[in-house]
Amino acid sequence: MESQESPKNQESQEFSAKTVEEATKLALEKLGAKREDLEITVLKKGKSGILGLGAEEARISVRSVSAATTADVPKVARDILSELLEKMGVKASVEIVEPPLASMTPDSKVVALDITGDDLGILIGRRGQTLMSLQYLINLLVSHKTKARVPVMVDVEGYKRRRYEALQSLAERLADQVKSTKRAVTLEPMPANERRIIHLALSNDPEVTTQSVGAGEGRKVVIAPKGRETHPQTPRRATESDFRPESRERQA
Amino acid sequence: MITTNFVEQSSLINDQLGGRMKEVVEYVAQFIVNSPDKVKVTEENSPEGVLLRLEVDPDDKGRVIGKQGRVAQAMRTVLRVAAAKKGTRVQLEII
Repeated sequence: MESQESPKNQESQEFSAKTVEEATKLALEKLGAKREDLEITVLKKGKSGILGLGAEEARISVRSVSAATTADVPKVARDILSELLEKMGVKASVEIVEPPLASMTPDSKVVALDITGDDLGILIGRRGQTLMSLQYLINLLVSHKTKARVPVMVDVEGYKRRRYEALQSLAERLADQVKSTKRAVTLEPMPANERRIIHLALSNDPEVTTQSVGAGEGRKVVIAPKGRETHPQTPRRATESDFRPESRERQA
Repeated sequence: MITTNFVEQSSLINDQLGGRMKEVVEYVAQFIVNSPDKVKVTEENSPEGVLLRLEVDPDDKGRVIGKQGRVAQAMRTVLRVAAAKKGTRVQLEII
C-alpha cells in the first residue's frame, strides 16, 4: 500500500496542555470523540520544568479517522468495485465474503470481496496479475475514500480462496517431507501473496523454517529443516504434481 | 448513403468504446488526486486501438503514476480488460 497523505478532507486540529495525556483528554472532550476515532500525532512532548520554571506545553495534532468510516469499508469497497467493473464493461456482481482462513493471522483485519459472473478468467490474468492490479486500485480508492487502513482482498469466484487452501495443504505436505528426508525443498516461483500463505502455514511448525529466496518474478520459498546448516542450492524442486493434492491421493 | 451511414455508425460505436475506457481512467484518477476538477482524459481512435491521454494538475502527476509507476501500471492492466471486452486495444499516456 502506498501511504500518500492527501491534505483534502483531513482537517487536523492542534491542542496543547501540560502533558500529552492532558492534551489528548482535552482533544477528546472538545471534539466529543473517542480515542479510537482519532489519530494523534505528538508535536511537542512538553517539559514539566522545576517549580514551573522552564516548563513547556505539550502539543498534539489530532485527525479524525472515525470508527464509522472503518465500519463502512466493506460497503464502500463493494460499491467502488462494482462501479469500476461496470465502467470496465464487465458484467458481474460483487459480494462481501469472509476472508479465507489460510490468509489470516490472528490479529489481521481484512475485508474480502468476491466477484461472480460469467467468463471472468480475464479478470484473473496470468498468475493472478490482473487480479492483483485490480486489488491494488481498489485498495487505493477505498483508502482515499474512507481514510481507513483496512486492507481489501479482491477475489474472483473464489480463485484465491482455492489457491490459498491448495497452497496451505501443499506447505504442510512438503513440510512433512522435509522433516523425514532432512532436506530442504524449494517451491516454484510465486507472487508475494502466495509466498505469504506458505510462510503463514508453517510459522508455527517448530521443525522447519521457511525463507524466500531469489528476486522479483523468480522469488520462491524454501522450506528447510530447522537446527542445522541447510544447502538451498541442492533441494529437490517441487514438481507440478505437488500442486495437485487430488492426484497424489489417488496414487496413494 | 449506406456507406456514410455505416461509417457514422462505426465511429459512434468506437466513441462509445473509448468513452467507457475513458470513464475508467477518469474514475480512478479523480479519486486519488487533490484537484479532481483538473483531471482531463482525451481519447483518440487509431487502427491500433484507442489511445487515452490523461492530464492532471502537475502536483498530482506523481499520484496517478505512483511509486515506481505502480498506479499507472495497475490502471493499464485494468484498461486492458476493458479493451479486451470490446475486442480492441488501449494505450494510456500520462501527460
